[in-house]
Amino acid sequence: MLSAELNTTLQGIAQKLDPESEKGKALSHFLDKGFPTSKWEEWKYTSLKDFNGIDRNWFPKGNSNLPVSADWAELIIRSSDAYLSIEKPSSNEGMEVLSFDEFIQKCPEFQEIWSDKKPILDQNSLYDLNVALAPQHTVLWIKKDVEISKAILHQYQVNSTEKSSSVQSRLLIYLEEGAKVSLMEQQTSTGSADILSNFVQEIFVSKGAQFTYLKDQDFQQGVSHIDHTFIYQAEGSQVDTFTFSLNASLIRNNLHFYIEGSQVVSNLNGLYVPGENQLMDSHTVVDHRMPHAESNELYKGVLLGNATGVFNGKIFVRQDAQKTNAFQSCRNVLASTRATMNTKPQLEIWADDVKCSHGTTTGQLNEEALFYMRSRGISLPAARTLLLLAFVQEVINKVEHPVLRESLTEKIIAKIQQSVDLSN
Amino acid sequence: MLSIKNLHASIGEKEILRGIDLEVKAGEVHAIMGPNGSGKSTLASVLAGREDYEVTEGTVQFLGKDLLDLAPEARAAEGIFLAFQYPVEIPGVSTTNFLKSAVNEIRKYRGEDPMDAVQFLKMFKEKMAYVNIDQSLLSRALNEGFSGGEKKRNEIFQMAVLDPKLAILDETDSGLDIDALRIVAEGVNKLKSPNNATIVVTHYQRLLDYIVPDYVHVLYKGRIVKSGTKELALELEERGYDWIKSEVDQ
Ligand SMILES: Nc1ncnc2c1ncn2[C@@H]1O[C@H](COP(=O)(O)OP(=O)(O)O)[C@@H](O)[C@H]1O
Ligand SMILES: [Mg+2]
Repeated sequence: MLSAELNTTLQGIAQKLDPESEKGKALSHFLDKGFPTSKWEEWKYTSLKDFNGIDRNWFPKGNSNLPVSADWAELIIRSSDAYLSIEKPSSNEGMEVLSFDEFIQKCPEFQEIWSDKKPILDQNSLYDLNVALAPQHTVLWIKKDVEISKAILHQYQVNSTEKSSSVQSRLLIYLEEGAKVSLMEQQTSTGSADILSNFVQEIFVSKGAQFTYLKDQDFQQGVSHIDHTFIYQAEGSQVDTFTFSLNASLIRNNLHFYIEGSQVVSNLNGLYVPGENQLMDSHTVVDHRMPHAESNELYKGVLLGNATGVFNGKIFVRQDAQKTNAFQSCRNVLASTRATMNTKPQLEIWADDVKCSHGTTTGQLNEEALFYMRSRGISLPAARTLLLLAFVQEVINKVEHPVLRESLTEKIIAKIQQSVDLSN
Repeated sequence: MLSIKNLHASIGEKEILRGIDLEVKAGEVHAIMGPNGSGKSTLASVLAGREDYEVTEGTVQFLGKDLLDLAPEARAAEGIFLAFQYPVEIPGVSTTNFLKSAVNEIRKYRGEDPMDAVQFLKMFKEKMAYVNIDQSLLSRALNEGFSGGEKKRNEIFQMAVLDPKLAILDETDSGLDIDALRIVAEGVNKLKSPNNATIVVTHYQRLLDYIVPDYVHVLYKGRIVKSGTKELALELEERGYDWIKSEVDQ
């Protein structure tokens, strides 16, 4: 449970909120539950128990002014400790970046979509914490049939002060019918103190719309990042996500796809490379609520040092979701004998006419292959690097954007090469 | 070039090589024959540096260096090449990328500058001719889904690129039809020079019709029990191994 000090702080915040408001209710839920511990089934390997004892600066001020340069981006937006700035505006009138209140005024019909959403929030007290403490949503709104040909760059930054801090940030993305856009997100941090970064994204993809979302999670050690990405897909839409988890003390990704129309395509790609003293946890949900849709999930992990990895992939095929095709694969390489990986695929199928397959594997690099390579003159570290790179390439190669593909490849090579375990 | 003295090697509690002596000089071709399970692949593996085997006694000198002291990659850089009896699949790494790494790692070891893409292209093209290998095969993941013949041909292509001083061919003939065998053997012969040496490990004498050995050794129960010239191989072809076994087992 929460420590007395933390409890006092949060109660103080609660007193300023209307207990009947959304925020007030959310905070009271959080105060009841606290941070998840390993006793919670969904957090078995990713206990946040210690956070119950850490009082933080709950409203840090955004202060980062890292320079931005990305010729390839149509629009650059930045969330610095949840404070939005537009770093490079776009003249394209087919999209807008605005606050939730402004958005609802301009687009009242969204109210119904918003109140009809049914996310799965079991054992997710951090969502409540986010609702309670986050400033208004930043809304990215792409209008009907608008196709943004260059990508949008979102720089998500958390910045530490002397004291432990916590950043609660919310992003809402609304693609109207037939819209098409790619969002590239760089998640980074500055400073070296301990930060809890808690980021909620709610994405509504209307009929026939197409959305690509790439996350490059590259924080400093000391950051614990909890990511909630909930994607609601209407008929005939396609969403491709790419989640690259490169650095942080702890990353927990809750990626949910709610398939709410037929002919939907959902592609989930993920790659995590945790190293020394890092934990990376991917909890994915693909909820087939409507028939004739397909989902493909390809996750890979390379675990270095004493890293811990977690993959929990849930696929629900509801009774109405006949003719569903759902595919899931999670493959991991333990590049060190000190690393551990916990995998759990979970399929729950209530429809009878469906095709589902899943497979998870965790293994070491093949010793025979390593000897073969060494016998041709390739040193052990180089041989390991080559095999690991070949392993991760499958996911990286799916990224269409050449600049991002290269920068990800370089960062991953550097991280693998740095790993001390390669040479022994 | 290579001097093996009283070499003993075991795996676990089991002694497999039980006192091998062998001298190989530059320009020579040695054939090592012997029944299945006699230790031929073990000898080849120990020379290449496979760590599963423990050398319990004896010495191996290669060009004046203590070979047993070197890591497998250092042996390769010093000029040893083992063509595997069972080449290993390297998922996701093409032959060309694999060889670029190998060549440049070896050059680094020798203190030479790395080769660039243009130089590689030229070199690969030249060496492809040795074994009639196709570009498409070289772009595929190494050995993955290769036929037996493609694997062996690829081994000889790698040998051509790495240009070793001592090549050890472990049952390079096994699983090959007669045409593939001829191509592989021709490749090996073209690579032969007065400065390098070859050890051909084989179970049958068939390959020796194409790669003519200067010396033939028979390995049995971890020892070289008979040495001779190529006539010995012909005799083995005719009479089998039983007469040698019974001579030794007496
Ligand atoms: N990795 C191993 N583990 C246990 N026994 C082995 C291993 N490798 C080889 N041996 C044994 O050593 C002996 C020699 O094997 P090998 O060198 O492969 O013979 P050859 O190549 O002459 O057929 C055989 O009895 C074989 O079973
Ligand atoms: Mg053998």
